[in-house]
Amino acid sequence: MTMNIENKLTLSRNVAVVSGIFCLAVSFLLLLNYWQVSRFDPLESKAMEVLVERLSENPDDDALKNDIRNMDLLARKAYFNSHWQIRTGSYLLLFGAVLFAFALRMYHSLKSKIEVPEPHGEDELQARLLSQKWILISGAAVLILALAGSHASVNHLTSFGTGKPGESLPVTKAEENIEVIEVGGEPVLQSGDSLLAADGSAADDSIGMLAGDDESPRSTTTPAGEMSLPATSGAETTVNFVFPEAGTLRAHYPAFRGAFGNGISAHKNVPVDFDGPSGKNILWKVNVPLAGNNSPVIWGDRLFLSGANAQKREIYCYDRYGGKLLWTASASDIPGSPPTSPKTTDDTGLAAPSVTTDGNCVYAIFGNGDLLAVDYNGKRMWARNLGMPDNHYGHSSSLLAWKNKLYVQYDTNKGRKLLALNVQTGEMLWETNRNVKISWASPIMANIGGKYQVILSADPLVAGYDAETGKQLWSASVLSGEVGSSPAYGEGLVFAANEYARLVAINPSGGQVVWEQDEYLPEVASPVVSGGLLFVATSYGVLACYDAKTGEKLWEHDGGTGYYSSPVVADGKLIIFDTEGKMQAFALAREKNLVSESALGVKVVTTPAFANNRMFVRTGNALWCIGSK
Amino acid sequence: MNKGSKIATRFLLVLLLMFTLVTGMYGQQQRFPKPEFESGYAQPHTLTPEPRSTAMEWLDVAVLTAVMALSAWFVLRKRSRQGILWLSVFTLFYFGFYRDGCICAVGSLQNVALSFADPSYAISVTVLLFFLLPLIFSLFFGRVFCGAACPLGVIQDLIIVKPISMPSWLRKTLGLIPYIYLALALLFAATGSDFLVCRYDPFVGIFRMDAPFLMTILGVAFLLTGLFIGRPYCRFLCPYGVLLNWTSTVSKWHLTITPAHCIRCKLCTTSCPFDAIDRPTDPKVIKGSRDGAKRFLVYALLIPVWMAAGGFVGFKAHIRLSKANPDVYLAELLITHPEVKKDRDNIDVQTFLSSAKTMDQLVEEARGIRRKFKYGSTAAGAFIGLVIGMTLLNQVIFRRNEDYVPNNGACFSCGRCMDFCPVERKS
Repeated sequence: MTMNIENKLTLSRNVAVVSGIFCLAVSFLLLLNYWQVSRFDPLESKAMEVLVERLSENPDDDALKNDIRNMDLLARKAYFNSHWQIRTGSYLLLFGAVLFAFALRMYHSLKSKIEVPEPHGEDELQARLLSQKWILISGAAVLILALAGSHASVNHLTSFGTGKPGESLPVTKAEENIEVIEVGGEPVLQSGDSLLAADGSAADDSIGMLAGDDESPRSTTTPAGEMSLPATSGAETTVNFVFPEAGTLRAHYPAFRGAFGNGISAHKNVPVDFDGPSGKNILWKVNVPLAGNNSPVIWGDRLFLSGANAQKREIYCYDRYGGKLLWTASASDIPGSPPTSPKTTDDTGLAAPSVTTDGNCVYAIFGNGDLLAVDYNGKRMWARNLGMPDNHYGHSSSLLAWKNKLYVQYDTNKGRKLLALNVQTGEMLWETNRNVKISWASPIMANIGGKYQVILSADPLVAGYDAETGKQLWSASVLSGEVGSSPAYGEGLVFAANEYARLVAINPSGGQVVWEQDEYLPEVASPVVSGGLLFVATSYGVLACYDAKTGEKLWEHDGGTGYYSSPVVADGKLIIFDTEGKMQAFALAREKNLVSESALGVKVVTTPAFANNRMFVRTGNALWCIGSK
Repeated sequence: MNKGSKIATRFLLVLLLMFTLVTGMYGQQQRFPKPEFESGYAQPHTLTPEPRSTAMEWLDVAVLTAVMALSAWFVLRKRSRQGILWLSVFTLFYFGFYRDGCICAVGSLQNVALSFADPSYAISVTVLLFFLLPLIFSLFFGRVFCGAACPLGVIQDLIIVKPISMPSWLRKTLGLIPYIYLALALLFAATGSDFLVCRYDPFVGIFRMDAPFLMTILGVAFLLTGLFIGRPYCRFLCPYGVLLNWTSTVSKWHLTITPAHCIRCKLCTTSCPFDAIDRPTDPKVIKGSRDGAKRFLVYALLIPVWMAAGGFVGFKAHIRLSKANPDVYLAELLITHPEVKKDRDNIDVQTFLSSAKTMDQLVEEARGIRRKFKYGSTAAGAFIGLVIGMTLLNQVIFRRNEDYVPNNGACFSCGRCMDFCPVERKS
């Protein structure tokens, strides 16, 4: 049916009117939706904030958790509903607008006649004069307004650096008289080094039998050698530093995985038969004020650990006999400390690195870069901030102290270094830059060829550094991925491993790989070597035993539950906790011999600490003491 | 090996390859063991969307080139307004709604500016071509890009209903804005502060069907204005149009209203919605222009004064302008209001505090950016002064014109005027 122009005009006019009204209606609805959402954003509900705050005060309130979940579900429904409305409305508006524009064009096109040309155009001279006038006015107006606007602006950047508050200290750089060693990755051998004894065993200190340290409560005997008590009270605390020898360190449990971080405890009669739920052989269990994934350390009758949340970072000292919290030292008011803590993952947290002690002080580092040293009574000796570590999980490398140095493995996304600080003053003695990627492993120390080395694991290097000077002595490019497992030393070899990489035994004389394996690889737990046996625990529940010299797999145990806690050797046994809190004790033997299995009944990701007849386990917010009465 | 076994072998090899790829991908995605949910929740597979393939970017360049070539053909050879119209519709859907209005030639000038100023910024070849190709076409064929290939232009062009002719003084005055916008866009892009053209693109929200409230209002306002004032963004804002104006002014070929010669019938005078048709020069105007020689001299001598004034204002304004840079703004905020460090809702401050950057480093970076602004805004101010001076000067320069011709610089080569001319094309 052909339409005449009149009909087409009518049709296009009507379509334009209807679509125009439609567009107006949809626009109105969209505006209404916008107004509604801007006033009551379902994702910014005050009621939800109140509930979440209440939950943080009562974390075990299940009814409250349910309420929050329901409210959250309603908020999400409202949010996505609103989005759907906007989206649908937008498409409807677009469709309506297209129709409107098309109909309007058709209407005007049909209505338009051949226009009579203008008899004369605008007077060009007059038009140009007017243009000049307005260009002059507007040009001047633009410049004047710009000038006026610029007068009101102040350059605040010039006032920075004049001592005003708000300026924070720079990231610690090399201080004066401090040697910064750049390491390119090549091993440096010292002439005359003999890194292996004639019989092939490591030429390091042997673990001797220890004296003292019986378990009578409140014993006043102190381990042989050192430990001067600090001065009591007074504004200035002084400690007469006496640096313990290796044997003395091993008499205590002064660091993550024991003395030198090697996973071997010299303590005797370590309890392996207990039951957490029933309390069998659980001597005491106390709450730790702030949670943390660091492991306890022990010196004499004191047990130390740390905890942190986004607002507070603290060191705790417990009487290891009765479990009483003796003091709390707070890492607050530290110059350079950032006002907000970095984001960390839940399984790392802000107190992942374990504290360490040398009998003089207790040293702690936290995920925001705060480093704190307190004396035996919890009085601050020194504190500093190393700069906020750029670490996407959270800083987790534990500390080690030996002689006058506190060693910090500071491998972050923005820089990788080994630092040595003066234990008495916190002054940086040296820092060694490392040619590696970020790492979550902790340092260990070993006496190799008569010289102490600090051995670190990262991607790609496992490397040994002179404990005195920080110079890299050797390295092996053997690892990849995100390294969380610390190295181990024994049988003259350094052992390192990482999931998706390999397990390697390295000769520390030149960094050569002696053997390697890739069947069972740890993700978090660190290997341990003792009596010619190397133990590796995986996060999927396999504990494997290898011949340390050859790499031959001797036996494996598939517990089914992953291991995050590191296996440690104590009292002739290999002791390990799985993530469900089940402890397994194996004989140190080439055949698998499960000596004992006990359950703590709670999740365990930390590594236990030992004293004679005692084992101490930290589980998040709790500290357990295991032993027979 | 018989045919059947060959097929079976190939099939198995393909399966093995697919299996390897899939498990490889899975291995890469599932880096760590899954957490064990107590409720039995099964974690879905992580999907990573692929980035748009580079081949598709080259396809965009090819489509742009084809559209401009077709537009030139429609304008210069076929003289078909219908062709331009349908090409515009295609551009609206392809470069507008399908490609979401990005990348576009208008914004690409910022990428080019940044690549000159920042050696670490690598501009992609396709973006560079998006910048260069319309200019090259304009040098030869006029603003065929504006006519049918620019999504921002065609969306305004397609909704023109009853265009009003604007008085020339208003056109000339508003015509200063694109130059100011160009200067500021280049300044902000070169200092790495912002891509102004993209941020204040009124139509990109419509193309993406998603925009903040104010941007939506701005886009709709432009479109409603465009019902009556032809292409308001193109004529009075588009910074890229400044460059196209310059190249089109000297183009080798250009759209002509008449296919042969002009008979001065004036039928085309009302055809252009953009007031882009130059009329034959009135002899009285030519006579009157001789009296304006003094004015010409004054305006010519004033050009350095305008430039100096503009440069001075630009220099003075550099502190204010540099505050638009996020790093400068953050540094000054932390200096003047250190208590903002406690504000957990301020994402910029919290991100900075969580980073390993120190205040010293931030302030040093901010100072460097402010120095760049000092030189850049002085140059921008001098450029704006030059534009004001030259625009004034142009008002006293009279070009002898015999026919009704499109203004080469301002004409968008839309082809509307061609249909109004009664002159037949010579065979």
